[in-house]
Amino acid sequence: MNSFSETLRAWGLTAFLCVLLLAGWYIATFPAASHSPYGIPDGNAEYQALMGHGPNAASHSEGFPTPKQFLDAAWIQLREPFHDRGPNDRGIGWQLGASLLRVALGYGLAVLVAVPGGFIIGLSPLIRRALDPFIQILRPISPLAWMPIALYTIRNAEECGIFVIFICSLWPVLINTAFGVAAVRRDWLNVAKTLEVVWWRQIFLVLLPAAAPTIITGMRVGLGIAWLAIVAAEMLVGGSGIGYFVWNQWNNLSIANVLLAVLMIGITGMVLDLLFGFIQRRLTYVE
Amino acid sequence: MSNEHAVTRFIEVSQLMKRYKPGIPAVFADVSFTIAQGEFVCVIGHSGCGKSSILNILAGLEKASSGVVIMNGHEITGPSLERGVVFQGHALLPWFTALQNVEFAVRSRHPKYSRAKIKEEAEQYLNMVGLGAALHKKPSELSGGMRQRVGIARAFSVEPSLLLMDEPFGALDALTRGLIQEELLGVCARTHQTVFMITHDVDEAIFLADRIVLMSNGPGARIAEIVKNPLPRSRTRETMHHEEGFYDLRNHLVDFLVRRSALVTKSVA
Amino acid sequence: MKRFFSSKTAESALRCDAETEPFTACSCGIMHFSSGLGRRGFLGGLAAAGISGTAHANSVVPVEKAELKVGFVPISCAAPLIMAVAKGFFQEEGLNVHLQKIAGWALVRDRLLNGELDASQLLAPMPISLSLGLGSAAQPVRAITMQNINGQAITLALKHHNRRDPRDWKGMTFAIPFEYSMHNLLLRDYLAHYGLDPDHDVTLRITSPPDMVANLRAGNIDGFLGPDPFNQRAVYEQIGFIQTLTAQIWDGHPCCAFGMTQPFIDAYPNTYSALQRAMIRAAAWMNAPENRLEAARIMAQPAYLNQPEIVIRQSLTGHYADGLGVVQDNPHRAGYSPYPYYSMAMWIESQLRRWGYLQRPTDALKLAREIYLFDDVVQQARVVGPLSGLQDPVAGGFPEFSVLGQTFPRAGGQAL
Ligand SMILES: Nc1ncnc2c1ncn2[C@@H]1O[C@H](COP(=O)(O)OP(=O)(O)OP(=O)(O)O)[C@@H](O)[C@H]1O
Ligand SMILES: [Mg+2]
Repeated sequence: MNSFSETLRAWGLTAFLCVLLLAGWYIATFPAASHSPYGIPDGNAEYQALMGHGPNAASHSEGFPTPKQFLDAAWIQLREPFHDRGPNDRGIGWQLGASLLRVALGYGLAVLVAVPGGFIIGLSPLIRRALDPFIQILRPISPLAWMPIALYTIRNAEECGIFVIFICSLWPVLINTAFGVAAVRRDWLNVAKTLEVVWWRQIFLVLLPAAAPTIITGMRVGLGIAWLAIVAAEMLVGGSGIGYFVWNQWNNLSIANVLLAVLMIGITGMVLDLLFGFIQRRLTYVE
Repeated sequence: MSNEHAVTRFIEVSQLMKRYKPGIPAVFADVSFTIAQGEFVCVIGHSGCGKSSILNILAGLEKASSGVVIMNGHEITGPSLERGVVFQGHALLPWFTALQNVEFAVRSRHPKYSRAKIKEEAEQYLNMVGLGAALHKKPSELSGGMRQRVGIARAFSVEPSLLLMDEPFGALDALTRGLIQEELLGVCARTHQTVFMITHDVDEAIFLADRIVLMSNGPGARIAEIVKNPLPRSRTRETMHHEEGFYDLRNHLVDFLVRRSALVTKSVA
Repeated sequence: MKRFFSSKTAESALRCDAETEPFTACSCGIMHFSSGLGRRGFLGGLAAAGISGTAHANSVVPVEKAELKVGFVPISCAAPLIMAVAKGFFQEEGLNVHLQKIAGWALVRDRLLNGELDASQLLAPMPISLSLGLGSAAQPVRAITMQNINGQAITLALKHHNRRDPRDWKGMTFAIPFEYSMHNLLLRDYLAHYGLDPDHDVTLRITSPPDMVANLRAGNIDGFLGPDPFNQRAVYEQIGFIQTLTAQIWDGHPCCAFGMTQPFIDAYPNTYSALQRAMIRAAAWMNAPENRLEAARIMAQPAYLNQPEIVIRQSLTGHYADGLGVVQDNPHRAGYSPYPYYSMAMWIESQLRRWGYLQRPTDALKLAREIYLFDDVVQQARVVGPLSGLQDPVAGGFPEFSVLGQTFPRAGGQAL
């Protein structure tokens, strides 16, 4: 009962902050009477029409969009999120899908490499110590720093994007897997040893489940980074994806659409994280 | 007091010494004893004297710094299904249910068994320790006593020649402990199980053991003496203290733990 | 103070061989031409080659590679490329062109060189810089046609509306889209013309066009020499005004080329020629003033420039708001001509040398003939036949032109 009212209050507070934000936005972007600055003459009616201010011309925003303008732009995009008028004009749904596909590929690859790699590192103190300097140096490199290197060596833009996702999400998964495996309770390993369990059962039935919560934490962090990196990578390599959408809308100086994309990126990131939170809860055991 | 010529030398521990790091004193040294087939041996000693270390060497999980352990004529060099272990903590795999924990052991013992056969076998061992109703509970959903019983069922399920138990009932309340002790004794008697068990509890040792190994304090622990239990095997927890010789044995053990365990080590060292 | 920018001088600067051609239609910008090959000559050549004037190449020689990936950058210079797709000129040559919108010139370069693109819109100096290995490893890149002429502008922040004399610009920061761009070379020439050292008196910053507008709004730059429609966009957003059109600096200057690598030409010679023909027809179509409104409509689409149509229209028609309250009219603002004249390449080469990008000795004439494939364009133009928007080429490929009043190539120079 208490936790229910607590939840209710939290939701209430969230809603209140939303309203506050919207009100602030509305006030901050309230269209001021538009006068040419610096005493530049307003020109004639034709001039005004060319400036998009005429009675027949569609009005356009200068600067940050108002909530209304944002909603209008969002509606246009979200009305048909999967429209496809050629490779250079696809709906925001397509773009999100393209990004998710890239992340799935790059991130999936990273997990495929990092989990077995983490096992080896976690099980062998020698290899751990030998690889530690490499991992420590490579880990903090930002996705954007990898991009030129990738473009120069891999060349193919699509593969570059996937590589950047791969290399950025690799480290948290690798490090957490190694840590999780190394920290598995000796008792459990001793149980497996005294039962003469074959190595692959030992890996899949003891080490993996024991390290799973730590590995999933690493995978969750890795996915977060992958989702951060994809937007940056796509803004550079372009072609498709939500990052490309941002660039394309920025190219049009359409802040409303950029805002929409930012919101979609945030929501998608949140959904992915919730998904992982759910998996994590399923795999966490109580000792 | 002991009469080693009367029993076969199933397990023979000779001149065992363990030193974890060079330059520090050995945890124990000069440890020699034997265990006969079907015998129940308890070890009593103060914390830190090296009881678990000895048990781990017997299990093959640790190497002795010197000395050997011979089992059935073969030296013990590593872990084996021949020796089942009940660990000091229950050491159940928390992501498995009680049944799965035991199945895990059964499958190791009988890799060729069908899934159904493994399940049947595992259920049987859990029934044996009275857990037939809690097969599908995770360890976290079991009481401390139930967990320990799963651990025992698991150790039994591999049908080991030697059962090694490291303070299996240490964390249990007196009532539960008594119940499980009785169950254990019954099972061991029925299966003629050879057991090497560590305990801190004098009454437990008297109730369960055929012989009791007394260890002096560590570091540099030794076997101070090995006491043969004079009580008949038909003893029960309720009637045990009426048996002749019970109080003599109990006083002897308590006296050892309270007073003499420290003196022995000093005199040897 | 405003001498250069008074509408009167502007108009005279815009005059394009007014003696020989009607003022309106011509925005080719060539000082003068007196071609020995008239329309008749072309037709004669065609007849001799046995090719009907209206027949398309696909009915004559099949292309080796029909599916092509072609890059473009979403600016007005891409108009012929976009029209070649939208109006079906590629299709008629049996080509199926997949246009790829690319985020910047460095990426265009990388993708063309690594083979991800078969051909691409390039800045006119890029085939030269790439072939010479300036800023990257040397790769034989060719300008197979020119895309457009003029169509750029210097835009200043509104706060500078009283500082229009370039002599007052010391200390300002300007944005340009790429080092090896006409924007960079023209801005440098313009500043130098007014006595400023572009390397020391001002800061030049490489910036993508949308970032130019955003930085102009934020006050991080004072102005830019950028591609349309971003100049007009800055006006439309009420943050800048058009200081001068590049048509007023050099009427007829090239801006974007259409290029590919020499290995591609060698491997697919018929595809190369087919692309050339389609691009010639697209340039001719774009150059016809009556098509500009339709072009603006098409280019405004999200798949292409993704900009307000009214902004693109002003930059294409030259009937535009200047940001200072005046509606200006300059039909030369944007022009389209497919000819990659050798003298254009030589001007670019001379400027690259002037500003220190190119230091080793080169044979400018040989280079121009190697990289700017003017002769092939003329030949394919002959195959295509006469088109209403298409100017006849200047025979030989060495038209003279005037850059800020200076004639190039200089009479008696090495070029002629
Ligand atoms: N892996 C190890 N490395 C170093 N020292 C160890 C290790 N394991 C045990 N020891 C030391 O050996 C001594 C004996 O430990 P052991 O666990 O065998 O004692 P124990 O008799 O079982 O004690 P308790 O009754 O508390 O379980 C202790 O002093 C302990 O610190
Ligand atoms: Mg112990």
